[in-house]
Formats: sequence, C-alpha cells, structure tokens
Amino acid sequence: MKITGAYPIPCPSERAYSLLQDPVILAACMPGCEMLERTGDGEYRMKMRMTLASVCGLFDGKVRIADSQPSERFRLVVEGTGKIGFMKGDGLLSLAPDGAGVSVQYDGEVQVGGTIAAVGQRLIDTTAHMLIKRFFEKLTKHAAAIPASTVAAQ
Amino acid sequence: MIPQPFDYTAPRSLQEALELLKSGERKILAGGMSLIPLMKLRLATPEQVVDLGGLKNLNYIAENEGVVRIGAMATHHDIEMSPVVRGRCPLLADVASRIGDVQVRNRGTLGGSIAHADPAADYPAALIALESKVRLVSANSDRTVDAADFFLDAFTTAIEPGEIVLELQVPIEDSSEGYAYEKVSHPASGFAVVGVAVRVKRNGGRISMARIGVTGMGPRVFRDRAAEKQVEEGVDPFHATLGIGEGESVNSDIYASGDYRRHLARVHATRAIKTALSRAL
Repeated sequence: MKITGAYPIPCPSERAYSLLQDPVILAACMPGCEMLERTGDGEYRMKMRMTLASVCGLFDGKVRIADSQPSERFRLVVEGTGKIGFMKGDGLLSLAPDGAGVSVQYDGEVQVGGTIAAVGQRLIDTTAHMLIKRFFEKLTKHAAAIPASTVAAQ
Repeated sequence: MIPQPFDYTAPRSLQEALELLKSGERKILAGGMSLIPLMKLRLATPEQVVDLGGLKNLNYIAENEGVVRIGAMATHHDIEMSPVVRGRCPLLADVASRIGDVQVRNRGTLGGSIAHADPAADYPAALIALESKVRLVSANSDRTVDAADFFLDAFTTAIEPGEIVLELQVPIEDSSEGYAYEKVSHPASGFAVVGVAVRVKRNGGRISMARIGVTGMGPRVFRDRAAEKQVEEGVDPFHATLGIGEGESVNSDIYASGDYRRHLARVHATRAIKTALSRAL
C-alpha cells in the first residue's frame, strides 16, 4: 500500500529536519511509542502500543534513518512485529520551505500482514493516515514550543 | 477462536456501571457486534469487561417536547420497528433497517455502534443530517454533545474515559420533509462503502432546507454544506453534488479506491437528493 501526503510544520527546515531525527522528539510524537532506544548510527529499537477502538497491540520494531541529506530529505525504514500482525514501511521524507515554515512531503510503501491485515483490510489505509496525522500534530506542537532561535543559539 | 481470559462484570444499575467505569480502564460491552469478534480474534484483549446488557432501562424510545429520545441499549431492530421513530424521524428508521444483517440488527445497539465509531457505520450519516445530540454521562458529569462534534475521527469520539453514551436526542422531522438514505453496502460486512443521508424541506416552489450527511467516504462522517447550499439554491441534484466531499480526506482500501469512493458518493448523493425531493410535500 502506498502512503503519500504532506504536512506543514511551522518552523524553518533546518529545525524541522533536526526535530524529525531527534529520538526524544520522535518517541514523544509517535502515537503509542513506549520506548525508542538508539542501537547504532541512525538505527533505533522501538516498542509501540497501538490502540485504536477496541484493538490494542504491542509492536516490537526497528527504525532506521538512511540516505540523509540534512535539511532536505531522508529515508525512514520501519519494521515492527506483534501478536496481532506485522508491518514494514519504507518512505522518503522531503522538506520544502513553505512560507515561514516547511512542508514535509512523505512518499512511502507500507506492508501490513497477519491477523490485523486479514480482517482489517478495510481500515488499514484510514488508520495509517490517522496515525501519521497524530504524529505531525504532536510534532507541530514541539516545533512551536521552543522558538527556532533558541535552538540555533545552542 | 477463543478470547484471552478477562474479568466480566454485569452491573444491575446505571449507577453501579458508572462506578465501575470510574477508573476509565474497563471496556464496555453493549451488543457485542464489534467487540466480541475482535476479542475472539484476539485483536482486542481487554482485561476487564463491563456488560451493559442487563440495563434494560437504557433501552427505550420516547418522544417529548419535539425530541425523540432513544436509549443507548435500543437495538437497530428496535429503532427500525419503532412507530415513534418511523413516524417522527423516519430517516433514522430507514438507516437502522439497512445496517449489516438480521443478526446484527437484533443484537447490535445504537450506543455501541456510535461509541465504536466505525468510519463506515450507517448511523453517523443520519445523526448528522438530523442534527441530533448525544447525551454522555459519567459518575460525576452529564453533558450533551452535537452529533457533528461527537465523531472526531475513525474510531475516535468525544467520549471521555469513564463516560458512557446514555441516549440519542433527535429533533423530530417536520412531516412535510423528504428524506432518503442511499448506500453502497460492502458485500461481505454490510458496512457502507459510501452512505449518504439526506433531508429536504420545500416551501412553496423552492427548497428551504437541505441536510446532507456522508459516511464511509472519509475517516469520519461529514456534512457537505456546499452541496446543501446548492440544493437550497435550486441547483439540480446532479450538479449540486459534483464537488461532494471536496477538501475531505477520502478512504481507500482493497475494495474501493479513493477516486471510486468519490464517484460513488456523487452518484448516491444525487439519488438520495432526488428521492428525498420526491418525498417532500
């Protein structure tokens, strides 16, 4: 399944880029993320509890950041398995200045399997978009919380 | 399959149920038409389930002061067959009669369905078109939310932890109104791939009111105010619905792509408006 879209983040692209690669920020923004631990250069281990309606599943996974081109784009490779199914995703995130902020464009391919895919086919696309939206909504709050100038000064 | 073991409690009064739900961690079981299959597949593994099945006083349909009040535990079948609903808000009876299959309509409840908030459920389209309200209660709160503010996203509602859906309040339809519900049923589940609920009112030669609620097309139900306005301005149904759902995100799955859903929504909105107009006096 292909997932594409764009989301505006109200801060300069350098800052948006560093937010998107900051494990602390990512862990805080990813819906249901319970743990994100660095395991190597651009590689992380992750535990996620996905709750949607009555469905609840714990996923154990890996996140890898590759092909980084600072403040422009990077590739995000995600893998997760749990009792209710598994998912694999590979996406390109590109940042383009948009007015005072930046527009984050994502183009990816996601595969979902196991029980969740067998019976939830009708809802996977909707769910994926909803989770992405929640992620960016939280990221936007973080982007707004600390003014860009403070970060630049650090 | 067999569900994971869980604690089961069947309160005998609303007060007892609300006390149990205070912690916000217990899962509510109403008709069980969504929760039980999910538990059997172990997609849902709640540790504690509170069964509202014993609260017979939450199953009522009554009319007073221009409002039809329907208890959360009324089944789809109760609503479909109720003379009050059929007489006072026939759109809702029509929608209830088109849900799933006979078994689901006999066991499934209004409260369970709207609390679950499946993006392809039938009720939301009618609730929005009827401008109804949902009453939510908890151990220490009692509030009423407009249906339009109740459905927030796929499987996401305005219900706070500890709250339950108590009743639906539907303003009675004017007897001169026309109504219609058109849906494309998913062949396996009966869910609405797209469902459009319409109400119209005529005043002399013109259309004085139009309400259009669309379910199944996007992650949550929406009212298409642009199309409503066009219908009210006298634009013919085909042209009034050309832009239906513009600006809304559209679901896409193995059965129907986003573009196809858009097309279906246009076709069925046109049909629903035509039928509603033909029924309006």
